[in-house]
Amino acid sequence: MLSLLGLSPALLAGATAEAQQKKISSKPAKASAAEPRIEGLNPKGTPPPIQLIPMAPRLGSLDGKTVYLVDTGFEGGGFLLNQIQLWFNRNMPSVTVVFKRKAGPYAEDDPALWKEIKEKGHAAIMAIGH
Amino acid sequence: MGIPTAPLVTIAFKDLAKSNAAKRGMPLERICFTPHPVWGKSEAQMYEYLEGKDPVSGKPLMKEVVDALTSPLTADESKSGTTTPSVGPPTYVDTADNLQQYFLDNGMTDYLPIIIPTQEKVDAMLKGTSHSPDEVLGKMSPAKGAFPEWSYTVKHAAINAVMAGATPDYFPTLLAIASTGISALFSSTNSLVSAAVINGPVRDKLNMNYGIGAMGPFNQANSSIGRAWTIMSRNFCDGGVCGQTYMGSQGNVVNFSNLIIPENEKDSPWTPFHVQRGFKKEESVVSFFMGFGISQGQGGKGLGMKPVPHFHEAISWNTTPFANMYGALVLVDPLVANGLGDLGYKTKEDLADWLQKNTLVNINDIKTMLFSGPPRGQQIPDGTMIPRFARADMFNFVVVGGQTNPYHQIANMRYQLSVSIDKWT
Amino acid sequence: MPHERITFTPHPVASKTPEQLRAYVEGNDPVSGKPMMKEIVDALTLPLTDDEKKTGMVRVSVGPEKYGPDTARNLQQFYTDNGMTDFLPIVVPTEELVTEMLAGTSHKPDELVGKMAGGAYPPWEYNVKQVAINAVMAGCKPEYFPTILAIASSGTPSLMSSTNSFAYAAVINGPIRDKLDMNYGIGALGPFAHPNATIGRAWTLLSKNLANGGIPGDTYMGSQGNNLNYNNLIIAENEAASPWAPFHVQKGFKAGENVVSLFRGLGIVPGQGARGTSTDTPKYEEQFSDLFSVFTGFFGGLVVADPLIAQSLHERGYDTKEKLIDWLYKNTTQSVKDYKGRDFAYGFDYPRSLKGLEPYATWYKMPDDAMIPRWPHLDDINVVVVGGQTNAFFQCGCLSYGVSVSIDKWM
Repeated sequence: MLSLLGLSPALLAGATAEAQQKKISSKPAKASAAEPRIEGLNPKGTPPPIQLIPMAPRLGSLDGKTVYLVDTGFEGGGFLLNQIQLWFNRNMPSVTVVFKRKAGPYAEDDPALWKEIKEKGHAAIMAIGH
Repeated sequence: MGIPTAPLVTIAFKDLAKSNAAKRGMPLERICFTPHPVWGKSEAQMYEYLEGKDPVSGKPLMKEVVDALTSPLTADESKSGTTTPSVGPPTYVDTADNLQQYFLDNGMTDYLPIIIPTQEKVDAMLKGTSHSPDEVLGKMSPAKGAFPEWSYTVKHAAINAVMAGATPDYFPTLLAIASTGISALFSSTNSLVSAAVINGPVRDKLNMNYGIGAMGPFNQANSSIGRAWTIMSRNFCDGGVCGQTYMGSQGNVVNFSNLIIPENEKDSPWTPFHVQRGFKKEESVVSFFMGFGISQGQGGKGLGMKPVPHFHEAISWNTTPFANMYGALVLVDPLVANGLGDLGYKTKEDLADWLQKNTLVNINDIKTMLFSGPPRGQQIPDGTMIPRFARADMFNFVVVGGQTNPYHQIANMRYQLSVSIDKWT
Repeated sequence: MPHERITFTPHPVASKTPEQLRAYVEGNDPVSGKPMMKEIVDALTLPLTDDEKKTGMVRVSVGPEKYGPDTARNLQQFYTDNGMTDFLPIVVPTEELVTEMLAGTSHKPDELVGKMAGGAYPPWEYNVKQVAINAVMAGCKPEYFPTILAIASSGTPSLMSSTNSFAYAAVINGPIRDKLDMNYGIGALGPFAHPNATIGRAWTLLSKNLANGGIPGDTYMGSQGNNLNYNNLIIAENEAASPWAPFHVQKGFKAGENVVSLFRGLGIVPGQGARGTSTDTPKYEEQFSDLFSVFTGFFGGLVVADPLIAQSLHERGYDTKEKLIDWLYKNTTQSVKDYKGRDFAYGFDYPRSLKGLEPYATWYKMPDDAMIPRWPHLDDINVVVVGGQTNAFFQCGCLSYGVSVSIDKWM
């Protein structure tokens, strides 16, 4: 029988404690030969396999192209995209910039907007975070 | 008092009344019980209680009260002398599984698995301090004044620290906590909560989490230090026995691991909490709070979609359901602290000052609140709006969090004291 | 898309002025150190590399089936160091103990229990045995296992990746409360009973391990964290002392059935500071309503009342929970201005209003000073009774009801 000695967490100690302590077999730190070995099971769930999605071909240049700025609804994202729009106006005026607030809360899909961007736009910048 | 007394207690407190009478030396005290509750009852209902029977003895209540005061004492009731409560043997020998069960069955845990405190592990824990195992560390009671205090040594703290899963490097912090004698399971019919704010180099030395998820179950130092406080509060003073030494009607989930709040000093624009309390920045210090509980600040009123939100207004509003006998402990993410800094609150004191002046409550409302009261010795006309909290220092601020969002949490909790951790290394 | 071209801005953007945001745009990506706008333009224009074009399936490994053989203490450390615990001691889940746990249910070890995700990533699956391993680790007895399976089967994690630090509650009803000797009296929500403590803890451990949740900075983003996540709010309703229908009966179950009902939200607020707490004839419904004034109506309101309070309300004419809820819904109001100013309304309700969803569409058309209910729907408010009647206290959770699951099904 594997015998351990657990100390009382409440008060008192003294002579009786000394007498009992001698019964403990000395166990050096970490794995001594005397300590039994056990196996522990892996508690993790089963992750799904991940389907790799190839990225869309890039444009080479943004000259004369239409870029959608998508505000996903995170607080402050709209203000940041506003500054990005102004940057394009100052630095790449040939780019047409269209600002859109995605419909629905930020985790919700907006197929109508994706369709519009695909039809009328060449690229998109999405702001995520706040 | 030296004159016959008949304690009249509602049935809900039966176990408490009997065990407390025994602990105070009068085990056979003639206690008479009424139905529960007496609060919120009409005169007719009260009269019905008195005309009825003691729900414990089944005898007519008022006859029992009269007998308690008049019938002569038995020999046992006349006894004097000293008895010492037994806390069991100093050691238990069995298999690991049986010992786990034994500690559980005997109310020495928080009902979760512990590390069995073997001599070897306790010795290793004791290496975490230079203090002698026999040094008396402090005294604790489940509720000071209501229950006798027990004393305990450095070694007792080590045994409880091992049980909670602490490592020896956490031990000085636990000794500092234990040295205060503050129980994390304070007995009251309120279900109170406790917090420990940790400052100084010890936070990084122990790799404590003051970033993302700081107050959650994501770090061994935060988790086991908090849990050890609860386990010590049980074993150091026979605390946390429901119906006897714990009377919180509903209980509080925060009591499992308590609020352990290492301040995020490096991302804070303000003075760390311990420096506010007169310690040096390089000292390691633990500071204590107690109160009703904690809630999150994403609440009642909006901040508006301003470029820089008015966090101070949100904090003020979120104290609406706070009893003013406890103050407000405001735990702000560094994003909030820095935002407030940008708005001109250069110090925690500036912010406390604004909040004290601008957090108002109607005097008529204050008068209806159980744990709140109007300022003493002042005649204030009905309908006047007065500060909810009497003093600015009833607002305390600690910066904690990982800056993923400018949120705050707010606790109806009062500052108690701060103690040095370095003293216990 | 492991190579997605992501550009980073400094953080936060939510509380910055236009000038500060312009400086972000003109500045560098803090991760790559390159000019931010050049990086964005490059992301859209530079040709794809071979890796970026890759397709196919990738399998994710979660390590071997067993760890060891090793000593109990080394394994204890291994589970802790590898983020499989709440950083408190566990029972090492040996095959023997897991087999004992599995005896607590008639369901087969390899039966699929459910799917769970702690955030916006594809959920992980788990079977009865995988749940049992986590139940052992938490310190549960086999008789608690059906309750844990019921919770796991709901797919509701107790740790969520939001930047909010959410809290979770499980309300337990039916004869199982007494069968397991759960505490619904004095100290019910505290560390005073084995089934309450370990069932609550098991929920957090399985949320970590079965769903890869609770990794700060990856699958857990709660900025400050929440102390309630250690053991969660486990609320065994005090049915015997309550004058009202138990919660599960309100949700259509029979009184004799065993049911667990799950809630999610921001936390729980103690009631001792509410207005009206010191009057001789307390009107508790007004106290609840007062406490709700700090709640966002985005999450529900869960009244957690001691039986003394429930009995007093009952005596005063609230003979059902529904009657009380009706009063609370009608009398807990807010101004449209306060409502619109709230982040949750901006992020969630405003877009719903644009789609014509009610009541948001109507609310967003009303003047700022109009008063509207705090909650969109009557059933956003719930009531449970728990406590040991030592005092007439209550707490209110800012918590939304999610789902009720039969425990009996998992026996």
